[in-house]
Amino acid sequence: MNPKFSLYFAWYYGFRVIGRGPSYVIASIATPLTLLFLVYVLSSGTLVQYAVIGGFVTLVAANGLTSASDAAFMRLQAKIQDLFVATSISSIDYMIGLTLSFLLFTVPGLALYSVLAVLYHLFTPLRIAIMIGVLIMLTLSTSAISFIIAGSIKHIRNIWGITGILSIIMTILPPTFYPYTFLPKYILYALAISPATPAAIILQGTFGLSPEFYTMIFVLLGETAIYLSLAKYFTRWREK
Amino acid sequence: MIQINNIRKKYSDGTEALRGINAEMGKRITSVIGRNGAGKTTLMRILSTQLEPSSGEVIIDGLDVMKDTSEVRKKICSIPQEATPLGILTPMEHITLYLLARKFQYREARREAMNALDSLGILEYRDKPADTLSGGTKRKIFVAMAIASNADTVFLDEPTTGLDPVSRMEVWSSIRKLDGNLIVTTHYMEEAEELSQEVFMVESGLIIEKGEVGELLSRFNGKVRAESHSPMDGGIRISNTYVKYIPEPDAAEYIRMGCTVKKVTLDDVFILRGVSLES
Repeated sequence: MNPKFSLYFAWYYGFRVIGRGPSYVIASIATPLTLLFLVYVLSSGTLVQYAVIGGFVTLVAANGLTSASDAAFMRLQAKIQDLFVATSISSIDYMIGLTLSFLLFTVPGLALYSVLAVLYHLFTPLRIAIMIGVLIMLTLSTSAISFIIAGSIKHIRNIWGITGILSIIMTILPPTFYPYTFLPKYILYALAISPATPAAIILQGTFGLSPEFYTMIFVLLGETAIYLSLAKYFTRWREK
Repeated sequence: MIQINNIRKKYSDGTEALRGINAEMGKRITSVIGRNGAGKTTLMRILSTQLEPSSGEVIIDGLDVMKDTSEVRKKICSIPQEATPLGILTPMEHITLYLLARKFQYREARREAMNALDSLGILEYRDKPADTLSGGTKRKIFVAMAIASNADTVFLDEPTTGLDPVSRMEVWSSIRKLDGNLIVTTHYMEEAEELSQEVFMVESGLIIEKGEVGELLSRFNGKVRAESHSPMDGGIRISNTYVKYIPEPDAAEYIRMGCTVKKVTLDDVFILRGVSLES
């Protein structure tokens, strides 16, 4: 393991890039803020707390998934992945570096949602702690999905379409902006293929917005482990 | 020293990129030359631990590329074909990050990066985003990584492809400054001829010719190349051009006949070998 590399990767490709191209940050918060506005208008403010909590989930999940485009670009186009293969780092160091750099893009958005959560009196220390844990799992699982996709595709052009579709299916369809109780359980289980579904359900329970649904804790843990294992395989540190 | 024993590579789509490569590469600068699709990049990717061969064995300085992969990776530096810098990062950041991946300390990485950029004459661009730099300067960022890496063996896959002649000369001049053994692929024969101590010619996944440049050219025994668009008695037809190897004293006569006469180069070794393979 080379954590120093991962941290510097995140510093260079995350923090410094934010300063040079703030559009990344704006793009990452545009969708959740738009949906927050729509939910506020359509529900006359009654569901806005769901949308605030869902905003955290969408922001982190969408960022994790869109990192697939950069991972694919670095592998297929820029050949930066090949460059790093023949060094001392492992595929895990590389994945952590890229994941952390994308996580940095979400920081301004997370700060904005935190302000909203404070305004709506949603935060307590325990809830914050649980939320941090859930968002870490969500970051790992969605980034793992992005590496699986980036490692599987053969042509860079395909990635833009795939990440666009996945972002919608995996972050908007799940009950991120509405109560999960609106959906029958079998649909919830089907939607649980997206880590955003168990994450949103756990947080809705934690924040007292919907009943607790403990099974989703195991679903999130399980799929994070599965997606990470698959990502390690698909990142193709030595291609076959 | 690199020992390559019967390396074969068949891709999942059935393409047989390497059909049994055997070689020993031990000179300071070795060129692997051949046409596009000959198998050069596949060979380089296998040597530099990026691609698994279907069969065969590669030993670098006593280490097996497949079995001792982590040890091999500490000793080598590999710059992939068409590697492109990330536009938003600066040359300094690229090289520092690369050196950190090679377990350099941060300060040491910065210092080595500065030295490498300085030695290539691009220190003034160190803090400019890569997408504002010229093609030649972008390519030099990767050469600077190789220089700063202090690796025992450096693999450069087509480092000058797509560059204008001036940039190509600059990059090659930079490559000469590299320490350690260097394995370079190129399809510019004149570059290989000028720089390498040893040349391997690859065609259709096989090494068809190898040796020192002087040794390969000595086979022409003082002959020069005459080229014409009209048929020549005993000439070799390549597309719409006819090529014939003639004694140097006869050159004036061929020029009078409308031929172009040139000094023989590695191109000619390749042409002759290629033709004999076809026949």
